[in-house]
Amino acid sequence: MNILEVEELSFSYGNAKEKFRNQVLNQISFHMEEQESIGLIGANGVGKSTFLKLLTGLLTMQEGRLRIAGLEMKKENLQQIRAEIGYVFQDSDSQLFMSTVYEDVAFAPRNYGKSEEETRELVMKALGQVHMDGRKDRQIYRLSGGEKKLVSIATVLAMGSKLMLLDEPSVALDPRNRRNLIRILNELPQAKIIASHDLDFVYDTCKRVVLLSEGRIAADGRGEDILTDRMLLEKHGLELPLSFSSTPKNKFLAI
Amino acid sequence: MMKISEAISDLHKMDMEAGKHGWLQGIHPLPKLLVTVFFILTTVSYGKYDLAGLLKMGIYLIIGFVMGDISVKLLIKRMRAVLALVCLVGIANPLIDRKVLFQIGEFAVTGGMVSAVTLMLKGVFAVAASYLLMVTTAVEDLGYALRRLHIPKVFVTVLMLVYRYIIVLLKEIERMTDAYSLRAPGQTGLHYKVWGTMVGQLLLRSMDRAQIVYDSMMLRGYQGEFYLRCKKRAGAGDYLYAAVWVMVMLVLRYRG
Ligand SMILES: Nc1ncnc2c1ncn2[C@@H]1O[C@H](COP(=O)(O)OP(=O)(O)O)[C@@H](O)[C@H]1O
Ligand SMILES: [Mg+2]
Repeated sequence: MNILEVEELSFSYGNAKEKFRNQVLNQISFHMEEQESIGLIGANGVGKSTFLKLLTGLLTMQEGRLRIAGLEMKKENLQQIRAEIGYVFQDSDSQLFMSTVYEDVAFAPRNYGKSEEETRELVMKALGQVHMDGRKDRQIYRLSGGEKKLVSIATVLAMGSKLMLLDEPSVALDPRNRRNLIRILNELPQAKIIASHDLDFVYDTCKRVVLLSEGRIAADGRGEDILTDRMLLEKHGLELPLSFSSTPKNKFLAI
Repeated sequence: MMKISEAISDLHKMDMEAGKHGWLQGIHPLPKLLVTVFFILTTVSYGKYDLAGLLKMGIYLIIGFVMGDISVKLLIKRMRAVLALVCLVGIANPLIDRKVLFQIGEFAVTGGMVSAVTLMLKGVFAVAASYLLMVTTAVEDLGYALRRLHIPKVFVTVLMLVYRYIIVLLKEIERMTDAYSLRAPGQTGLHYKVWGTMVGQLLLRSMDRAQIVYDSMMLRGYQGEFYLRCKKRAGAGDYLYAAVWVMVMLVLRYRG
């Protein structure tokens, strides 16, 4: 079964009656298999965050169809769909709102009616997956940026969601935290959509890449094909990932 | 803006102190809340000239601050605004109530003087007791205790949200004023011309951030109630703690 089916999805900001409508997504279609990782790339403002928010129901769908884990996106299914989806915000600072790491990760299981023992198990497992079990009693505000990102991911893992959506996960991470995050994401079995304009990061975490441009899908295929295609990327306002941007000769010199 | 970053770190520090592993911190939040409420009610019930009786109630605070390893200096520093306000309450009493109660040598102590001090002390005691509860109990635990006392869901939820949003708001103020002062060197405070824009910006930005907090709650299954649970269960020691204090306070109040 496909974890996600997107059919001719369109979306505009602004009222339908208004003259000025900002059409962000225009007839987007693609399918995604379970355990697949997709890098959603595109220049700033192309609509990556908008797309992710549509999947969570934070933005209400206007046109097209969305099926998530076999559930049609509509009001009656929203609670069920949200239980299947884990959304990692770009801004971890606001995503985390309880006082300690443990309390924050426990927030979702408790809301889903888990007992305190079950909650404890889920929290410790999720923290273990992001290698943060040693920090469970930490105050959120004392965490570093990288740790906050990992805890945000743990809050989502504790829900047992099948599809993880990550919005610009590598922004504001130093190289070490970035490498750490790549390793951890690659260890997680869930299906993931990683929206980012950091193409190196996408290359290291996603086999498949969907390129958005002017509201449409400009390319959908293997990361190694799309991310190495300088012409294609530049045409859509992106640059080759750093790891490919140097010519072979330069690369040789760099070593 | 030192003030704001201080306020943020104070809030966080209070959270942290509540997580310390002290004796008082270890008491279940429910009996702690009950004892605090009982203390405040008892304190308020003292007659307006009963300064001597009221002073005895201080024993609760002294023991609490010692057992909880709480710094009184920090209490004064953090709560100075509230304390100052509380002290203003009875300030006019000496002018109104000039009945002489007793003489100390030449000096006539009037009813107004005594009642003013009593009133101030009641206020200070109430603030100190609430502070003691706050720094020894995490907000989540406090919310849990309130719910156990059947305080309506809305109030507890509002309390929890206000607590979270205040931090969001303060952080936003800090960010903006930092950015401002970095580009306005040598200037203390904000120029009056930018106040309007700053306040507007602040409103928009904190609404944005509050929205993210709310979205994040919704996406994690929030349905209008914080499922507050307490890590520990109330044991015999916790009940004993409440029982002993209630008894001591009753004895101080009616037999002391
Ligand atoms: N709440 C909003 N109201 C109106 N327009 C918006 C809103 N959020 C985003 N947009 C616009 O929609 C477009 C896509 O934004 P976004 O999805 O955030 O892009 P990305 O995440 O790819 O950078 C941008 O042109 C942006 O200005
Ligand atoms: Mg975005």
